[in-house]
Amino acid sequence: MSLWFALSPLLILSAGGLLLMLADAFSEKHTDLALGAFMTFASAGIFAVALWIMGGVPAEVAKLVAPWIVLDKFTLFFMATLCLGGALSSLLAGGYLPEHGLDRGEFYALMILSAIGGVLLVAAGDFLALFIGLETMSIGVYAMTSFRRTNPRSAEGGMKYYLLGSFAAAIMLYGFALMYGATGTTALAGIRDALASGSFGYARDPSRLTTVIIAMAMILVGLAFKISAVPFHMWTPDAYQGAPTPATAFMSVVVKAAAVATAMRVLLVAFGDKFSSSWGAGWPPVVAGLAVATMVVANLIAIRQENVKRMLAYSSIAHAGYLLIGLVAAWGHGDPSASRNGKAAILFYLLQYTVTQAGAFGALILCGSKGKEAVSYEDLAGLGRRNPAVALPFTLFLLSLAGIPPMSGFFGKLFIFQSAIEGGFTWLAVIGLLNSVLAAFYYLRVLVFLYMKEPQPGAVEAVPMKSGYVTAAMVLASALVLYFGLMPGRSLDMAISAAQSLM
Amino acid sequence: MIPIPAFLVVAGILFGIGAIGFLVRRNVIVALMSIELMLNAVNLTFVAFNRVHAEAHTGQVFAFFNIAVAAAEAAVGLAIVLSFFRLRRTVRSDAGDLLKN
Amino acid sequence: MSAYVPMFLLFAVAATLVAAFFLLSTYMGPRNKGEPEHNTPYECGSESSGGRHIRLSAKFYLTAILFVVFDIEGVFLYPWAVKFRSLGLAGLVEMLGFLAVLVVGLVYVWKKGALEWEK
Repeated sequence: MSLWFALSPLLILSAGGLLLMLADAFSEKHTDLALGAFMTFASAGIFAVALWIMGGVPAEVAKLVAPWIVLDKFTLFFMATLCLGGALSSLLAGGYLPEHGLDRGEFYALMILSAIGGVLLVAAGDFLALFIGLETMSIGVYAMTSFRRTNPRSAEGGMKYYLLGSFAAAIMLYGFALMYGATGTTALAGIRDALASGSFGYARDPSRLTTVIIAMAMILVGLAFKISAVPFHMWTPDAYQGAPTPATAFMSVVVKAAAVATAMRVLLVAFGDKFSSSWGAGWPPVVAGLAVATMVVANLIAIRQENVKRMLAYSSIAHAGYLLIGLVAAWGHGDPSASRNGKAAILFYLLQYTVTQAGAFGALILCGSKGKEAVSYEDLAGLGRRNPAVALPFTLFLLSLAGIPPMSGFFGKLFIFQSAIEGGFTWLAVIGLLNSVLAAFYYLRVLVFLYMKEPQPGAVEAVPMKSGYVTAAMVLASALVLYFGLMPGRSLDMAISAAQSLM
Repeated sequence: MIPIPAFLVVAGILFGIGAIGFLVRRNVIVALMSIELMLNAVNLTFVAFNRVHAEAHTGQVFAFFNIAVAAAEAAVGLAIVLSFFRLRRTVRSDAGDLLKN
Repeated sequence: MSAYVPMFLLFAVAATLVAAFFLLSTYMGPRNKGEPEHNTPYECGSESSGGRHIRLSAKFYLTAILFVVFDIEGVFLYPWAVKFRSLGLAGLVEMLGFLAVLVVGLVYVWKKGALEWEK
């Protein structure tokens, strides 16, 4: 296998992104660019799956780009997941942008270039590659967030996201610098070996120990920010609400998956030594605390929201909390079986969450009328009767987000909680369970408005938009939600196999 | 020869000034400058540590990439601030009050 | 440390000179603080008019942003040039690939009309 083939998903995305940029500059009409973006994502995803089917990238090819880029099955799994999320988001953009007078082709190029950053981020085996991937992803998303140039909310959301995002990136970067100073390397595996080795003197030299701990804390802050864990979540609702909905879908799907993947790599690989990952002095209790805070705070605030998009933003924060439970379980007191199941549970959760969340935002797009998004619960009233073709998939996605069987979200949560119990964190699983009951309340509230309420007399009735692109995304996402929900076995096996390759 | 800890202390102070400036000042342009200051403090740290671990020059290479990334970030940030300014006629970050719970 | 002595001397001389000029003008300069003319930015010449903040055209920002982005990419050429011989043909091809991406960006900017001052 040549290196070209091994890197094909990244190369396809890069070529596609650049071509779309040129196509945007040289063409007058922009609607078909969505199809181009979709094809780019789809072919990159297909190449990732093909690499997987061929048994992954052979070690002698993978070592050509090591340690900067790690081409294991974990990377391939996430490449496919990110491409799936990107493909769905680009379909949503193809319907949304013309409808809202935003039909500028940059959006697709930005989306693909940002996805390249995401792919690089999940593949990164070195702080340098990690940082470049993170920034490539983030800069594209900042631009996408403030894409509605005439809308003050979009500019405000983008500005808040940008300011806090680059602040967090700077903090994380300082952590990288200190870690480099203490260990002499920026490769994740190298850092683990340096921290673990006795001859290194890390445990004996107090100043070096302090440096490592400060660096670890700063890197954790940066990661928590990108995952949008409480208390580093302040940007999320504003950015999600202000951004055009396809960008919101992209953020909550691709950016979140990539951030969680890199958190797994950094925490479980670089900080996977005995000391850094001990319950007494390492990162696991911090992550467990973040998980509890994230779930509780996000769910409590989500209940009070009157804006559906903002509610979905808080729900996306809450889902980050469930994923953090998985991360603690993936550490699992060093028990290999619990650890493997924890990692696999996160991977499966992210895979099904990608289709569910992208689908939910797609349904929200279809509920809005030309030039005006559906924002409040009132806007959705009576849609179940007026437009069942939109309400039905919306119901499906909401039930999946709430974790109600037989939707895919149920198995996602089930595997996470199971692995937490197996790893000895029954209390975390119980808190998670209580939170999903709490969360079901606000998801079902949308259903109540869809099916059991009628619009206020005199209220402007939204004329739901029609778009082939968004419909296609709906069909694809609904089919996958049902597939992951009814037949989770195969994708779970893949997740386990990907989890085993992470080391 | 200036000892390496001297560089690290300067970098730490610069980083602190940048972080405090970011948190205290309400002018978005000043916040952007504070972030640049923080990134440059990181660069100084990398280059200083590069002298300790001189064999691979990882620190210097990292600093190069930081500079390029920081420029791209600043460009996008300025564009976003400009579009905010065009709509709201101010660059004060507390003017961003449309998005609330 | 002795290598820095001239530098410190230079700093000291510069600081003394600056302080001296300030003190001299404060103590020896004519004192007529009452006159409003003295508070204007320029005592002689035409009256200044307009607000303190001159609104510059957004075109300046655009040009500056584009300049910064393209200018800073040159930073990668320097380490490559230093190591040009040992990197060989592979290094050359990779750098051409890097420059090709930049050219795509330039073509995009050009075609979008961002380089035209008057439109």
